[in-house]
Amino acid sequence: MSKVLFQHIYKQYAGEQRVAVKDFHLEIEDGEFLVLVGPSGCGKSTLLRMLAGLEDISEGNIIIGDRIVNYISSKDRNIAMVFQNYALYPHMTVYENIAFSLRLSKLPKAEIHERVNRAAKILDIESQLHKLPKQMSGGQRQRVALGRAIVREPEVFLLDEPLSNLDAKLRIQMREEIGKLYRRLRTTTVYVTHDQVEAMTMGTRIVAMKDGVIQQVAKPEEIYSRPANLFVAGFIGSPQMNFIEGKVRVRDGYSLFETRKHTLRISEDKSKMLRDNGSIDKPIILGIRSENLLYRNDDLAKPEQQMNVFEAVIEIKELLGADTYLYTNNKEQRIVVRVDPKTRFEEGERIVVGVDMNHALFFDKNSEALIC
Amino acid sequence: MEPNLVHIPKPKTGLRIRLLRIRWKKIDLFQVLAMIGLTLLALFMLLPIVFIINHAFKPISELFLYPPRFWSNQPTLFNFQQLILKSQTTVIPFSRYLFNSVLTTLVTVAGVIFVSSLAAYAFAKQRFIGRELFFSFTIIALMFAPETVAIPRYLVIANLGIMDTYLVHVLPLLAAPVGVFLMKQFMDQIPNELIEAAKIDGAKEWVVFFRIALPICMPAVATIGILAFQGSWAQTETSVLFTSTESMKTLPYYTMTLTNGLANNVVGQGVAAAAGLIMFAPNLVVFLLFQRRVLNTMAHSGIK
Repeated sequence: MSKVLFQHIYKQYAGEQRVAVKDFHLEIEDGEFLVLVGPSGCGKSTLLRMLAGLEDISEGNIIIGDRIVNYISSKDRNIAMVFQNYALYPHMTVYENIAFSLRLSKLPKAEIHERVNRAAKILDIESQLHKLPKQMSGGQRQRVALGRAIVREPEVFLLDEPLSNLDAKLRIQMREEIGKLYRRLRTTTVYVTHDQVEAMTMGTRIVAMKDGVIQQVAKPEEIYSRPANLFVAGFIGSPQMNFIEGKVRVRDGYSLFETRKHTLRISEDKSKMLRDNGSIDKPIILGIRSENLLYRNDDLAKPEQQMNVFEAVIEIKELLGADTYLYTNNKEQRIVVRVDPKTRFEEGERIVVGVDMNHALFFDKNSEALIC
Repeated sequence: MEPNLVHIPKPKTGLRIRLLRIRWKKIDLFQVLAMIGLTLLALFMLLPIVFIINHAFKPISELFLYPPRFWSNQPTLFNFQQLILKSQTTVIPFSRYLFNSVLTTLVTVAGVIFVSSLAAYAFAKQRFIGRELFFSFTIIALMFAPETVAIPRYLVIANLGIMDTYLVHVLPLLAAPVGVFLMKQFMDQIPNELIEAAKIDGAKEWVVFFRIALPICMPAVATIGILAFQGSWAQTETSVLFTSTESMKTLPYYTMTLTNGLANNVVGQGVAAAAGLIMFAPNLVVFLLFQRRVLNTMAHSGIK
């Protein structure tokens, strides 16, 4: 178990103009489960590969424990990696796959046997040890890949989109297993994914990346409720956060958020922050998640909230069992609203949507950064 | 897993005959014709093998029959007897030629596999300056018939100072561009992650090569083995060109002399037939042993 420190890492592939990773600076605490998340091509896998020693570092230092590992080869970094396609040795049995690294480090046979069996027991693949990888299902193969990693008792685990080759059900199951494994071993883990659900459920901390640059580093709750900018706000959370363009104006002592057709009243504390920030009369983007939009029928709320409503037409209805999402149009743009599945809706129906302005987020349209 | 290409509806009655009939219905006229055509072709290709085997056991009276026959009416071991007797009377015994051949062929096969797969691994999985250039050299080398480079090859061997040694039967054959090409096609298909995983697991480059890359490429290794075996076992050039001492020459050379020049007599034909079978048999055995793997290579090499 070790700390990992990235010191101003840059990566530029030979013969490419684009910089794959730009000034990545981060300290990963001992025993932390850090998730790197971002769309494809954001540099997250490159970072992991640099940490693994599979890719050269163009600039900066990577420190594992108290060693600078820039010029230390993969095998001497004391790390273990799980690949997206499992990368099991096809000609070796499961036992041999797991034992491979131990054999190379010339451990005594008895110890190898004991460690392989212990790992197999943790992962519940004891009965599969004699099989070849091709005789196993995707989920089982992933377990073997995990077994191969944990048997080495490394300082850092690296997982590169380990669940993307599995079907939806298995993915959830393996997500849980990896979580369990982590809680049991408490080894520093770096997990790369493009799936924000995996990031939210597994990480103790999330690093959101875009175009090789860190966008935000935060705990899952925080990254969800207070995304640092429009990109993170849009990337984390499903369905995507609703973005409404408009301006903040002050009228009769109230701060109002105005679009062409709608007016929403901003809560006291937020309006103060907006005023302090000098955002009045400037283009602003309001972000609101679908669960903070409330369907209202007859009880058109208390008078002071009556302002924060708009009418919308249901275009698409998406039943997900526990929730129903309504893709509505409020004459300006599409707004996704989460509603109780027990209430019946028809496509084409007009509804009144209330906005919970306490949970609204305000972004500067030009810098895309969060204001409050 | 193989997908079900042909959907076979389950018969309600569960009668096997019905199922069979449905299956047969799926085979159309073209397939029947192709099947017959291929069977005939296969039988035709089998003829020389049948001939070689039978020929070795024919008595002298049948050896010179006209028109020649494929089968032998009175099979005899006389020819083999003569082969052994004849070689007892010459300076160099038959067994010496056989030993030379076996030794040099084994070394050549092992050498070709080793050199080709190492080169292929480098071409497929290593990054170095001139990788494409060197690989295109290898491809260009595929184009030359051995005869066209006989003279430069002779000069190389002569200048190396290895004339009249066992090395001349091995060294010229080690440059096997076909082997390198086939191996590279195969190695290309090994996912990089596999090699990276092995490196993280603590393997050095040699270990990755011997424990991961080579075992995965076993089908290609078998194919190259066969090619190298055939190239080495039956060739006479190295004996003719690079050796002058009789005891350094190989079995195919000896077989050739049996039917050539002075030795070309009536008994020589029978001896040659027996020697021919001895020359041929290992080819057949080696091929039968590895044919499954070879087919696998052909399917994987991308040439098909």
